[in-house]
This record gives sequence, structure tokens and C-alpha cells, in this order.
Amino acid sequence: MSRLFVKRLSILRPLLIATLVLSGLASSSQADDLALASNTVQSKMVKIYGAGGLKGLEAYQSGFLISGDGHILTVWSYVLDTDYITIVLDDGRKFEGKIVGADPRLEMAVLKIDSQELDHFSLSKSVVLQPGARILTISNLFGVATGNEPCSVLHGIVAATTTLNARRGAFKSPYQGPVYVLDAISNNPGAAGGALTDSHGNLAGLLGKELRNAQNGTWLNYALPIAQLTTAVEDIIAGRTRPRSFDETVKRPENPHTLKSLGIRMVPDVLTKTPPFVDSITRKSVAEQKGFQPDDLILYLNNRRIDSLNTLINEIALIDKIDHITVVIQRDNNLINITLPGQ
Amino acid sequence: MIIFHNQQLPLFKQLLLIAITSTFVITLTKSLTAQDDLLAQEERALQQAVSQVAASVVQLEVLGGLETGNDGPVSGLVVSNDGYILSSAVNFRPSFTSILASTPSGKRATATLVSHDYNRNLVLLKVNTTEQYTTASPVPHTEIIVGQWSIALGKTYSREVVNQSLGIISATNRIWGKAIQTDAKISPANYGGPLIDIQGRVYGILTPLSPRGQNPTDGTDWYDSGIGFAVPLIDILPHLDTLKAGKDLHSGLLGVSLKSGDIYDLPAEIVAVQPKSPARTGGLQKGDTIIKVNDVLISRQAQLRHALGSQYAGNTIAISVKRDDQVVTTKVTLVEKLEPYEHPLLGVLPDRNFEKPGTKIRHIYMDSPAQQVKLQPGDIITHINNEAVADHNALRLVLSNFEPLDELTLTYLRNNEPTTVSLELGNIPQQAPTISPHATPTTAAAADTLATGLIDLKLPEEKNECVAIIPTNYRHDVPHALIVWLQAPGEPDNENLQAQWAALGEQYQAIVLAPQSADPARWNPSEVDFIRKTIDNVLSIYTIDRNRIVVHGQQAGGSMSYLVGFSHRDLIRGVAPLDASLPIRAAIKANDPGERLAFYAFNLKESKLAKASAAGLKRLTAAKYPVTAVQLSDKAGLSDSDRIQFLQWVDSLDRI
Repeated sequence: MSRLFVKRLSILRPLLIATLVLSGLASSSQADDLALASNTVQSKMVKIYGAGGLKGLEAYQSGFLISGDGHILTVWSYVLDTDYITIVLDDGRKFEGKIVGADPRLEMAVLKIDSQELDHFSLSKSVVLQPGARILTISNLFGVATGNEPCSVLHGIVAATTTLNARRGAFKSPYQGPVYVLDAISNNPGAAGGALTDSHGNLAGLLGKELRNAQNGTWLNYALPIAQLTTAVEDIIAGRTRPRSFDETVKRPENPHTLKSLGIRMVPDVLTKTPPFVDSITRKSVAEQKGFQPDDLILYLNNRRIDSLNTLINEIALIDKIDHITVVIQRDNNLINITLPGQ
Repeated sequence: MIIFHNQQLPLFKQLLLIAITSTFVITLTKSLTAQDDLLAQEERALQQAVSQVAASVVQLEVLGGLETGNDGPVSGLVVSNDGYILSSAVNFRPSFTSILASTPSGKRATATLVSHDYNRNLVLLKVNTTEQYTTASPVPHTEIIVGQWSIALGKTYSREVVNQSLGIISATNRIWGKAIQTDAKISPANYGGPLIDIQGRVYGILTPLSPRGQNPTDGTDWYDSGIGFAVPLIDILPHLDTLKAGKDLHSGLLGVSLKSGDIYDLPAEIVAVQPKSPARTGGLQKGDTIIKVNDVLISRQAQLRHALGSQYAGNTIAISVKRDDQVVTTKVTLVEKLEPYEHPLLGVLPDRNFEKPGTKIRHIYMDSPAQQVKLQPGDIITHINNEAVADHNALRLVLSNFEPLDELTLTYLRNNEPTTVSLELGNIPQQAPTISPHATPTTAAAADTLATGLIDLKLPEEKNECVAIIPTNYRHDVPHALIVWLQAPGEPDNENLQAQWAALGEQYQAIVLAPQSADPARWNPSEVDFIRKTIDNVLSIYTIDRNRIVVHGQQAGGSMSYLVGFSHRDLIRGVAPLDASLPIRAAIKANDPGERLAFYAFNLKESKLAKASAAGLKRLTAAKYPVTAVQLSDKAGLSDSDRIQFLQWVDSLDRI
């Protein structure tokens, strides 16, 4: 080996610079950790604009992408009760949103926009949280963010895990299943449909709607665990809850059920999409026997989502008279299952 | 081989370079992941703290009685292994019938309420079980530090798992020294549960508290707001044996009235000492200024409130006062209740125009001590018990240190001749005197540019409307009475108001102020502060006699007038409800020697509220407030003669 004259500085200088840079990174990485988490989530968030704007009901809510092709998971609410849903992505691009399906029992809906290669959450990669776990909620609460502005991030912990029906009537919500109760003021106007993640940005839940505890008057901050939603989301995307009548090739029975024979009279069909409300029940009919009441809203027939009066009529026409029908109705804030027998 | 600058390094230098580089890389990677882990480590530490205390948090179910606001499970903290539990008084509505508590094995057992801490709004329960609970240790005072992690625990969602909220200690020594403040979310989900530190020790018991009131529900409107309170466990433990014995703890009272004004500005000067009080027994006197309580120096009234606020009845404290140029120290034992104080009557109304030293008499009450010693209008009272009294306000304060049946000597001037008499003080009569309106000053009125008649006094920052009727003969050298009129729900009728009061206001030197509710259909109790603002506004513009500020209201407005009167004792001297009753559950504060409050109730004979109204007036009389009740026969409201009688009562509020 030849001896060489090595200037100390010339070895040490790059090492010194490297050290300073790396230690700079190290000391800021705690803040970076949460910033990183937030950044990975923002590109998956969407801002949803639809119906509302009257009587203090805001016309916006939050959602997040769950497929590269533009499927969006959000809450089922009056905001979606319109033909014109606008979806704004994190980068500010606007799309028209279409409802693929909704499950009012879980108060959730799946929308779709026409796009590809979008950054999204994989529901299969969602995590389960324990009480005390650090969380982030990302949503467009109060509609603060517009265009390409990122959604608002709140931090907190999981306060408790419980089911909404544990308090016997305290929470007036069709969904009464397991929820994460959050130690964060997350459930504000516009936040519903937002994402609940752990401190690393892994998806854990769907932020719920504003819900008040009827027993003590306090507002509940909560999210639905993804595990509660996955099967229903898959069913919706796969078309398994889609009314069979939407498929023209389906075989029609010769002798189907009719609303008249069941004793159900519906409200007049006056809108483009009249909601399927029961107007009256014929006395001594099957429907009366089984407990139908005026003002009941029909949500499902044999597990198919009924979104309008028209769909109801078409769907009933596909059910043979000898078969029974399982119906899910909404009465006030309660979901009721009724089985109508075959005749 | 390491090549550097195209030349190979000697072996030793190569090894050195490798060693240095790898050390750097390893250290930095470690510190990067260590930082990464910091969040996780913190989370683990907090969870460990929670799991340490979790078994000491108990779920309670309070059953039966009227529904009030929380019918779900509530929380408590174990303070001794045999099953004594501390919780918040807000969790126990007065009408409950039974309590169930969770036990260590997960079962439920009945529990009984053993005692109350009425000063800090806590309760002690005993669970009927033989199972042994685990307890948690308290955080010592020196270790309650602002900025430290604090976790609020409750057991309301589940009987097995605690629910938690993470925050920090925001402040200590809150609510007049009783509580520490946290920004964790405090709500019915954790009232009664513990606030713990990252070491798994208990800071205190969570409970709603308010600096403005001491009812168990005061402060519940601050739930989940970022402000929450916990009573330090270290403060309660010394009194645990007393509570276990079934003895309630009450706030300790001293029995002094301080000079009226801004408590953050004025020193603690005593203007009245209540007879039969610890202060009187300890020898405190009118004119003393309290400068020290135990070890705490007092330079402002607020500091005295802080020093006394957390004291229990039965506590003995050392008080030092400045008397003339001396410092006098005495020990007093605070009491739970002071004997209700009744203002005595000498029987004179003062001449408000009189400038010189002394009190000139304007009117003598019939059958009063003043009449018995043959005092006459025009006499000038100069001394009480041989001490000079500057004016009628000072004379009134001096007499607030006496009670009916007390004897004193009085010196007066008639035709410049002094005379001294002895007399025994009497009681304030129920009926208002019949008097002619006060004379206007003999000097000519100075030029005045202030508005008179019906004027708009809407405050810019409030959405409520507010009007006032200023007498057209208003002059700023005549102190006017202020009648705050709170109408019954309905649309305001300012013209009618003016027609009723304008002429009488001129006669009796009274300004009528009519603040209006935001919602014409109802008064909101929170509008009490708005009403105060309108009064302060008038006080800043017109000359108002502070002895004659009265709140007068009809039906819901009458209930509001009670509320305003009790909320602003420093300002309101009279409450005149029309067809309204004292709210049944309202706690009546005892009559205060320093701050007089009198009641004039207009009762409608056939009103549904007649019974409740009478019951309320009885309570006020028992609390030794001067109460005058008049029956109206006309359902439509007040007649002119009713108004005149009322104005005469207002005019007599500066009685001595």
C-alpha cells in the first residue's frame, strides 16, 4: 500500500455534513411521523357536495377512495339525495359522483367517479384499534377545505369501544352496532364519511354522523369500524344488493306478488325517484297482520336495495307468489325486519 | 479496500474510517427509530398508567326518581379496599332510590350514599360487598404540574373497560382553590371518575364545577369544552374518616361583609360583621382590613375568597387585620350556617339633597324608635355611640352592624343644638310608608344635554333591544331611582310603557329601564348577564342612586327579576315580582348585612301562582329579608295608585 497524504478535513467534511443532515432529520421525525401519516391519507380523501343548504343542514360531507377506479366510501345521508353529487379530489379535480349502492342499516354508501389509478385505501388492509390508541381523523368538517386544499386533521385517542345499543335507546340511529368512541371533537357538520386512522395513517373506521346521547344530552364522537362495513361494501360493489329488476335478462314469474294482494298502498309516484313510503295498509291484510304501518319506508326486499317506488314495483314483480319476502323497513329511527309469507 | 482521492488508504486508516462511519450510521439510525418509537413508547406508558388504575374505577347505576339529565351509568373511584367510593354529586339527583356498583369480580352490588362534601360537590358511597377493591395513590401537591399528561377515566360505556380522554393539566388552584383544571374531555362519560397521571397515580376526582355557583349541576354546560375540573384527591383523603362516619362537609362561613365594588381591586375592608358569627366572636370589627389568612397575604378581596373558598365548616383559621395603625391577629372557627341577619330599623328617611356632614331627616316612620325618641324631620344625625357618622350612606352601614332590639346612643342637631338620646332599634315594617315625593334641590338645574323621554339604549354588541324612559325634568345633581322592568312574554309596547311611567317617573325621580328578551316568547336565564350590562350602561350615563336600583318583572319577567336580584347582589337593592313566584328549587342566600335586598310582591288573587308565590315569600321572610306583599284585584295589571304605592316603596329603600 502506498502511503498517501490524506487531509483530515476532506474525509471528515462529508461525514460531518451527513451527520448534521441525518440528526436534523432525526430530531424532527417525531413531528414528521404524524405529518407523514397525514400526507399519505390526504391523497385518498374526497370532498362531497350535494343536497342541502337549507335550515342549517349543510350540503357537504366527506369520503375516501377505496379503489383505484374511483369507488368512494362515505355515509348514507340526505346530502346524497340528489342527482347531482360533486366529488372533489385532493388535487382539486372535480368529478360527477354516482351512487353505486347504499346500506341504510350501516348508514353507509358507496359512490363512484369515472377515473383510474387513483390513490386509495384498501379495506382489507384496515387495522383494528384498542382503547387508548392514538388516532387521527381526517375530514372536511365545516367545509373549511375547498378545491385542492387538504382536509382537516384532528388528533386524539380511542376513548372506548362499545355498541350503540348498549345504552338502551340513548342513541337514535338505525345503526346500533359496534363503534369506536373517539376522544376528539371529530363529529362536526361535514365530517361524516371522513377517515379514522391510527397514527401511521392506516385506515380503521368511517366517521359517523352527528349523534346525540338522549340520556345526557351530550354529543357523541364516533366512527364505524371498517370490519363492520367490508362485507356490505363488497356486496354493493359486486352488485349483490342491486335490484334484480335492473337486469333485463332476469326471468319473470308468471304469478308474482303484488302490493295490492299484500294489502300495501304506497304514496303516489310523483317525483323522478319517489321514496317508497307506505301510505296505508288494507285492513285484515297480510301486511297488517305482519305489522306494517303507514309512513314505513321500505329499504330492502330480499336483501335488494329499494331506492324508489319504481324499483319497488319492478322488484316485487320478480318475486313468485309462493315465495316469502323478507323486508327491511325504517320506522322513525328504527330498522325493522318483517317476513311476508308466500300465498 | 477504500479508495480515496484515487489513492488507497493505509489499512489502519481504512479501518478507522469504517469504524467512524458505521458508528455514525448506527447511532443515527437508532436515534431515528428511537424518535419513531417515542410516540409508541408514550402511548405504551399512558396505557400502562390506565391499566394500573382501571380496577379502582367503578361503574355506578343510579336508579329511580325524576329524570334529570343523565340516566345512564356513571363513574366513581375506590378510596378504600372495603368498598368506599368517591364520586361527583352531579351523578346523584335528589330523588334517586337506589345505587348499583360494579365489584372487582364483575358483578353488581348495592351501594349507599354515606355523606356529602357540599363545598367540593363530591359524595362518598359504600358498596355492600365483602369483595376487596384495589385503591390508587394520590399525586402530591408539589407534583401537580401544569403541562403534564393527564388522563380522565370513566366506566360508563362498559362495566369492565374504562373509557379514557387524554389531555394535560391546564391550571392549578382553580374555583377558589378547590380544583385543578384539565383540557381532557370531561363530561357525564367520566364525571365522578379519576384524573390520573402518566405514573398511574390519581390527580383528583372529576366533577363539574363553576366559579359562579355552587350547585352540583353548575359547570355542566362546559362539558367537552376544553375546560374540565378535578378535585385533588390529596385534599380529600385527610377528611375521609369524617366522611366515612357519615358527617357531611360544608363550606366554612366567617360572617363578614366586605366593601362593595370590584373584588379584584379593593382591599378586604370589613363594612359589617354579622352578629353571632365567628367574626364577631373573634373580635373582628367594622373598619378592619383583612391582610392575612393563615400564611396567605391578602391585598385584594378576590384573594380572601381564594383563601376561604376551600375551607370547610369547623376549620380554624388565623386572621390578621389592620385596625387603625395596628395589626391584630385572631383565630376563628368557621361555621356551616350563619344565623339569618335581620336589618334593624331606626325609622328615618334621609334628605338626599343635604351636603353637610351628618344625616338630615326627611321623614320619620310611624311607631319607630326614631319617633319614640321624638326625632323630627329637619334634625341632623351626627353621631352613633359617640362616633361621628359622615352621611346617610355611612349611617346605613353603621347600623348594618346592629340587629333589632340592640341599644345605641344617637346624637343629633336641632337648630344647631346637639342632643344625645338612647334608643332600642326596631324591625322594618311590612308595609311601605306613605310619603310625598322627595324635594328637588333648591339650586338651579345645570345645563344638561342628555336625552330624555323614551330613548333607545340598545347595546351594540347585543342583539336584544333595550329602551329607557328618562324623566323630562331629569337633572344630573339629583340621584334617580332605577326601575328595571322585565315584561311578561309578548311583544313589547313602548308607547304604553311611556304612558304608564313617564309622569310618575318625573314625580318620584325614577328612570325606567326596559331591557327586552331576545325571544319575545320567553326569557332565557342566561340573559341575566345582558340585563346587568344594560344597568351598567345606564349607570355610566345618568346619575343613579345606588340605594334604589330595583328589578320589577311580570310572570316570566318576575321570575327573571328574582334571578337578577340574587345574581347581582352588589347592585340590586329591590326585587318586585308581579304574579311570579320564587323558583321552588332556588337556593336562597342568607340576607347580607352589607348588601341590602328587599322584596315587594304584587299578587293577583286568582292567579295560579298565588300559592307558590306565598310559599316563596314565606321562605324569604324566614331568611330575614324585608318582604312587602300587596294584593292586586285588577287582572289587567297595575293601576296608577298601585304604581304610586310601589314608587313610594322604592323611594323608601334608602331607609335607615
